[in-house]
Order: sequence, then structure tokens, then C-alpha cells
Amino acid sequence: MQNYNPEIVKNVKVIISQALKVDESKVTPHSSLVKDLGAESIDFLDIVFRLEKTFKIKIPKGELFPEKLLTDARFVKEGKIMPAGLEELQKKIPDADWAEFLKNPTIANLGDIFTVGMIVDYLSEKLAPANK
Amino acid sequence: MRFKSKVVLVTGGSRGIGTALVRRFVEEGARVYFTYLSSKAQAAEVVRLTGKPHQIFALACDVRKKKDVQKIVDEILEKESSLDILINNAGIIRDGLFLTMSDEDWSDVMETNLGGVYHFCKAVSKQMVTQGGGKIINISSVIAELGSCGQVNYAASKGAINAFTRSLAAELASKKVTVNALAPGMVNTRMSSAARAAFGDKIKDRIPLGDFAEPEEIASVVAFLASEDARYITGQIIAVDGGLSLLCRR
Ligand SMILES: NC(=O)c1ccc[n+]([C@@H]2O[C@H](COP(=O)([O-])OP(=O)(O)OC[C@H]3O[C@@H](n4cnc5c(N)ncnc54)[C@H](OP(=O)(O)O)[C@@H]3O)[C@@H](O)[C@H]2O)c1
Repeated sequence: MQNYNPEIVKNVKVIISQALKVDESKVTPHSSLVKDLGAESIDFLDIVFRLEKTFKIKIPKGELFPEKLLTDARFVKEGKIMPAGLEELQKKIPDADWAEFLKNPTIANLGDIFTVGMIVDYLSEKLAPANK
Repeated sequence: MRFKSKVVLVTGGSRGIGTALVRRFVEEGARVYFTYLSSKAQAAEVVRLTGKPHQIFALACDVRKKKDVQKIVDEILEKESSLDILINNAGIIRDGLFLTMSDEDWSDVMETNLGGVYHFCKAVSKQMVTQGGGKIINISSVIAELGSCGQVNYAASKGAINAFTRSLAAELASKKVTVNALAPGMVNTRMSSAARAAFGDKIKDRIPLGDFAEPEEIASVVAFLASEDARYITGQIIAVDGGLSLLCRR
């Protein structure tokens, strides 16, 4: 995240600390939104709404946090994410800490791979001039 | 002045309970936006009577129409930096025995009473979540939990509002948005005038406190639910019915 536009990083930190009611100093690139910062499912929506407002962008449903995938029977069985689901997820979030997650790839643990850095990566890509 | 600098949106403010709500919130310092369906002149009169035209705004909006609702909410948010309190009050009755109830009477009531609550909650909840809190109060009815001849459509719509209220409250609580409902008994307004005229005394006999409520008495409980005094209340259906529901459950 340190290679990215400091403006994006600064705004993301503010947004996350406000949405999750945590001190800004706790928000680091590697913080997991769920494990370290205590995010619940509605917090993911809150973060998306705030990002949309601050960066004046539209974030289509499931583009940042792929929640739709989790209700798809092809990808998830009995709380476990199937190989096809994992492939999809890894395509969507290439920079996550997959090694750790793959030890126990359940829906319950999925929140662990959503990190602050992942949001910055997503925004940097989305706001890059070629993608505008 | 409990609501100074608060922005309040009341649906169906041109008459009855809605007008009492609008007045109450204006008196207590809020900036109040209210909607009406067709009573334009009546709505203008409500604004005039408060004597504070810079603090109260009437907007035509059919609560059944998602697009209209979103437009109204967008308009408000262009002017205001927050929307603190939403009161879903607009409602109708189309009473008649179920055996002869038309599909239209069923859907009009469901679309207005339940659909209106759905559209407005949908339109404001995103704002309330991102602003870090808000209060939603839905006007239900004591009939939701009782049986009432000739009101299958109305009772179904209000029962659904109660269920909606509890679940939405559970979803939004962590974002400090509270969602409650108020269930009036019989209130002196145009809506209840036919029933009062036909069975007034009979109904009064069944009300432990012995009389009907005035719209202002509903407004004062709504104002409490919208205030910081009610910070710790969410997902509740508060009956304001003179005890009507107690007696009927015996
Ligand atoms: N009165 C009672 O005894 C009683 C008891 C229990 C619960 N309630 C509930 O309390 C609420 C208010 O009732 P009330 O007695 O004050 O009723 P009311 O005097 O008949 O007023 C109804 C209000 O709702 C508005 N409205 C109706 N349909 C609408 C629509 N499609 N779009 C936008 N606005 C619409 C009306 O606007 P227009 O003036 O433009 O038509 C009016 O402002 C209702 O939800 C009712 O079910 C009333």
C-alpha cells in the first residue's frame, strides 16, 4: 500500500476508522477488517457507501466484497468454499493472504482476507486514469 | 427544543396524526419535511399555521412510488447534510369484508401502508448508516395484533410493518440507527371518523381509559421515541391505545 497515492491511503484510513469506530492508528494495510478491526456484515456496506461518496465513484454490488458468490451453490457447500469458488475469489482479490485462508477455507473465515490494503488496491486500480 | 438542528421527514403530514407530528417537531426546533398525496391546499395551510415557513416544507409524493420517494429524499439531501428522523405515517384504510374485498382494495392498502414504509426506509437507511445514526418510527396500529372484522388488508399491512420494524432494527442497530413502531388505538382523525360515527360508543366501552386519543397524544410519544431519551429503545412496537389491546386479549 505504501506505493500508492497517499491521498487514497489517507482517505481509506479515515473512512474505515469512522465506519468501524476504531482509532485511525489501528488501521494498517495488513489489518483484517473482521479479525483485527471487528467489522460485521453491515460494516462492509457502510464502507462501500462511504467510499462511493468520498471518491465519487459507483461500486457495483459484489465488486469490492464478493458477497454474492457466497450464496452460489456452485461455489459454497455447507459453509465451505469449493475449489471453483476459491478460484473465483482469488481472481477477484489476488493480493490477499491466501496461504493462511486456504488452511480452512470456510465462509466464517472469509472476512479475514478482506484487508485495508485490499481496499486501497481496489481503489488504486479503479481510479487509475485508464480505468476511468 | 429537543430537536434543534435535526432534520425530520414525516410522510402523510397534510392531515390527522401527520399534521400533529409536523407541528410538534417544528415547535421543538426541527427542520421538518412532510409529504402529502393530493391535499395541496391543506398542506399549504399546515405550513402557514406553524408560522415558521423557513422551518417546514411540504412535498407532494405518492409513497407507493419508489421513484417519487427516492426523488424526495434526494432533494432533501441536496439541501441538508443529514436526515436524522424518518416517520412513516402515511396510511389508508379500505375496509370491507374479506369475502367481497376487491384485489384493488387489498393492493392499495398493502402498497401504501407497507410499500410506503419499505420505499422510505430503503431511501433513507443508506444515509443514516453513513451519517452514523438515525431514528425511524413507523406508525402501525393496534389492529396488527388483534382481529378486526372488515380489516384483513389493513391488519395484514400493519402486522407486516411490525415484523419489518423488528428485523430492520436488528440489522441497523450496530450503526446506531433505531427502528421502532407505534401502534395507536382509536385516534380522532378523518381515517377513523366513519368507525367512530358507526360504533363510537361501543368502541369506547372497550377502551379501558374510556376515550379516543387526540393526534397530539400520538405525536408526543413519537417525539419521545425520536429523542435521545429513547436512545436505548429499538425494535419495539409501542401501543398507545388507552389499554384497548389489554382488554381485547382477555
Ligand atoms: N386514526 C386512527 O384511529 C389510527 C389508528 C391506528 C393507526 N393509525 C395510523 O396512523 C397513520 C395516520 O393516520 P390518520 O388517522 O392521521 O390518517 P388520515 O387523517 O387519513 O391522513 C392520512 C395521511 O396520509 C396521506 N396519504 C395517504 N395515502 C398516501 C399516499 N399514497 N402517498 C402519500 N401520502 C398518502 C394523506 O395525504 P392526503 O391528505 O394528500 O390524502 C394524509 O396526509 C396511518 O398510518 C394510520 O394507519 C390511525
